Amino acid sequence: MNRIRALVPAVCALALQLFLPISSGHAQGIPQNIPRKELLILENPEGTIKNAGWFNIWAINAGAQSNGLQQAALDTLWYIDPESGINGVWENALAADKPQYNADFTEMTVKLSKGIFWSDGVEFTAEDVLATVMLQIKNPGMRYSAVMASNVASVEAPDPYTVVFKLKKPNSRFHANFTVRWGAVWILPKHVFEKVPDPAKFDFNKPISLGAYVLHSFDPDGKWYIWQLRDDWQRTTLGRFGKPGPKYLAYVDPGPPDKRVIAQLNHELDVIHDIAPEGMFALAKQSKSTRAWFKGFPYGHPDPTLPAVIFNDQNELFKNRDVRWALALLIDIKAVSMASYRGAATISAIGVPPTGTHPATYHQPMEEWLKNFEIDTGKRKIKPYDPTIGKQIADMLRPSMGEQIPSDPKEIARAFGMGWWKTDPQAAAELLEKAGFTKRGGAWSTPDGKPFTVRVMVEGDLRPVMTRAGTMIVQQWKQAGIDAKIDVAQGTLPTRRAAGDFDSFIGWSVETWGGHQDLSYFLDSWHSQFVAEPGKSQPQRNWQRWSNPELDKIIEQTRSVGFDDPKSIELGKEYVKLAVKEMPTIPLMAYNVFTAMDQTYWTGYPTAEDPYTDPVPNWGNSRYMFVKLKPAH
Amino acid sequence: MNGYLIYIVRRLGQFVLVVFIGINLAYVITHATPIDPVEQSISAATSFGNTAPDAIEQMRTSLRELYGLGGSPVEQYLVFWRRILRADFGPSMSAFPTPVSTLIGRALPWTAGLLMISTIITWVLGNLLGGLAGYYQKSRGLKLMGVIAMGLHPIPYYILALLLLIVFGFLWPVLPIAGGSAMNLPQTWTWDFISSVLMHAILPALSLILIGIGSWFLGMRSLVSNVVTEDYVVYAELGGVDRHRILTSYVMRNALVPQVTGLAISLGGIFNGAVITEKVFGYPGIGSLLVDAVYAGDYGLVLGVTTISIVGVSIGVLAIDLLYPLLDPRVKVR
Repeated sequence: MNRIRALVPAVCALALQLFLPISSGHAQGIPQNIPRKELLILENPEGTIKNAGWFNIWAINAGAQSNGLQQAALDTLWYIDPESGINGVWENALAADKPQYNADFTEMTVKLSKGIFWSDGVEFTAEDVLATVMLQIKNPGMRYSAVMASNVASVEAPDPYTVVFKLKKPNSRFHANFTVRWGAVWILPKHVFEKVPDPAKFDFNKPISLGAYVLHSFDPDGKWYIWQLRDDWQRTTLGRFGKPGPKYLAYVDPGPPDKRVIAQLNHELDVIHDIAPEGMFALAKQSKSTRAWFKGFPYGHPDPTLPAVIFNDQNELFKNRDVRWALALLIDIKAVSMASYRGAATISAIGVPPTGTHPATYHQPMEEWLKNFEIDTGKRKIKPYDPTIGKQIADMLRPSMGEQIPSDPKEIARAFGMGWWKTDPQAAAELLEKAGFTKRGGAWSTPDGKPFTVRVMVEGDLRPVMTRAGTMIVQQWKQAGIDAKIDVAQGTLPTRRAAGDFDSFIGWSVETWGGHQDLSYFLDSWHSQFVAEPGKSQPQRNWQRWSNPELDKIIEQTRSVGFDDPKSIELGKEYVKLAVKEMPTIPLMAYNVFTAMDQTYWTGYPTAEDPYTDPVPNWGNSRYMFVKLKPAH
Repeated sequence: MNGYLIYIVRRLGQFVLVVFIGINLAYVITHATPIDPVEQSISAATSFGNTAPDAIEQMRTSLRELYGLGGSPVEQYLVFWRRILRADFGPSMSAFPTPVSTLIGRALPWTAGLLMISTIITWVLGNLLGGLAGYYQKSRGLKLMGVIAMGLHPIPYYILALLLLIVFGFLWPVLPIAGGSAMNLPQTWTWDFISSVLMHAILPALSLILIGIGSWFLGMRSLVSNVVTEDYVVYAELGGVDRHRILTSYVMRNALVPQVTGLAISLGGIFNGAVITEKVFGYPGIGSLLVDAVYAGDYGLVLGVTTISIVGVSIGVLAIDLLYPLLDPRVKVR
């Protein structure tokens, strides 16, 4: 007993030692020894980095990318903003001007910015660009090796600030490789890599930066990375916009969604990359300091990515566009919006994401065409487009969400999208009958008499919002008499998607620049020259394996015009019309990212009212946020 | 003694056979997975970028060569065993070219530390309280303990873990809810770092202890309840032997034997990691490493973790089998 008595003070002393830091305000998940008011804490959605000490981004998947490396430390020739941009959509970063192509797009000349320095004091020059390209070509196993080897015949530097690429074949979009839309081919330091015997096995730790921040410290277990503003930040391309607000950036793995919410409520996570709609609603309700892209409902930032029902168009059942259209007309998009995003979705009837500059370029100008668009069901002609669906969603939400739901039609269109296809089971039945399908006892059979079975592949809890969308669509198809089944692929989705091992899946084959009208970012890969034979691996992004001679013509014409040529908009509209007629995939909505920003320590985040960049913190473009952020107090 | 030596040799032979079969099964299962590491890698590398389709075809070919997936299945199997015998699991495909052993070596101390300590605490507390509850059956306090243990035992682990998170991370935020130690604290043997590690381990360990203690408690209470009715305990009580001595030397010691077996298996099992604990509390460890490797189709890393786990569990069982005849006089080697 005496021994126990003697132990009590010792245990108390130990407990005091353990809990002491709490009273000094450092117990929770914030970095030690860094003033909180100088620190911006952002979520890295890559999670825990198992190979934490690897910073050589030019090796394939060896380490992290969005741990601050591409946002804060690296740089490349150009940026295109998915929103309005800090100084316009197009930003010349390491390049001093836009790319200059020769007449047949076999040569691209780049003039480089002067006065840009690596963090170790070496000046950035054309030699670094040359080294980036040549190192990839000489070492085939690196991230950009294939892209460079298949495009570049030679690269020269006639002077320290000029680079001339000679291309193996005409490519009017070659500059896209060096243009950041999330990421790009980042420029590497020649003076470091030229001393490395095997660049694929070089960890680049500690990295030297071309961006405004340098590595301060990192967790060997991959939970956090801290970057510090360079003393010579003026000698970086971000410096021209002024001094970045945060002196320190911490990119952290905050764990599952519930913990992200708790961390932000405790003001220990300034920027949440993404959470489920329910998490966003909880934050909006409980935290006065949390701000999202939209001030109120639907909160999330619509990324320039278009989730859709993607058919395997090589499957006999889906080769007929009438079948694809019938399935589209059986979908009630309002129910899908409610099931997936709890109504916080931005719908799109056409194959272009309803975000950035696209609504003004494509959605609004094509509205009249969509209203007049007709399909022949075999028994009659119908006009399937309903321009009021976005408004209907807003009206549906208003009783529960109140004033958060806008009433201005323009605001409604921006937040919830414009129109979509009317749910029309009768027309769908006629189209299926036209395609030779029959309905007996309430169940549809294929032309050869077998049950009409459609599996809808989803990623399960790896992507819950899309899984909920797929489940709702399956339910709607089932109600119409189709033997629809949900097919949870979890982590096997990338493998099965490439192999064509699916009937349909909820995913995306359309991604765009967002801030620029050119659609070749995804559309070029839809050319039939890249469609794999059944059973062979399909390269991105034409997962639907759709080939169409008319589309090939559009793509070939787009290749022959310049990136900024207004003709590319007209060609883009031609693609939209063709995709509406053929319905190779059923576009659903933008990929809304619920990025939640805490204004306790920082203000000036990008929002729908001030859309100077994408707030989603894993995008390379999000670096522009750093110069706009100001301390809250 | 000769009998015991023969037993050891026979048991060692069984150990080698179990490990060999286990590793082979792991090899077959991982290679039968529908996940293609090359496709997963390409998907990760290109899903955000603008990579031309023809370049992706080239990338596919390069990665197959890089990951060593070119040879026949027999060649790959032989290479695998050559590496295993050198304790080399090769490079990780999802973190190429970093060796699998480096990744495991980084994660294992966290898992081993957390799980070993919480397993031992759970075992000691569960058995001690269970033993007392079985012997002092009229004690109100111990009866209450039984009710608590039975109440906690069926709660799904993740519910309890989330509850602890909300209580100690949000409602009364006194404990850290993420990571193995505080951010920006060098991992050196300083009191700041050690205390930070201990603080960060409290919630994950507490969740494991609260959930685990029930089964040890209930098991030990049942065992003791049976042992106290044995003739030798009754004779000891009639003979006036001190109750404390009866409890420790007559009852607990005999009742503990099967519990020791359970402890050995549990300790061997710590090499599997605690996936949910690691995910919920953001704690570093081998469980998350394994799950990520499965999703990435990283055969090498999955095989590395499972091999260590197979060997760990087998050694645990082997150790207890070898110690049994020495611990329990009722067990004799013939």
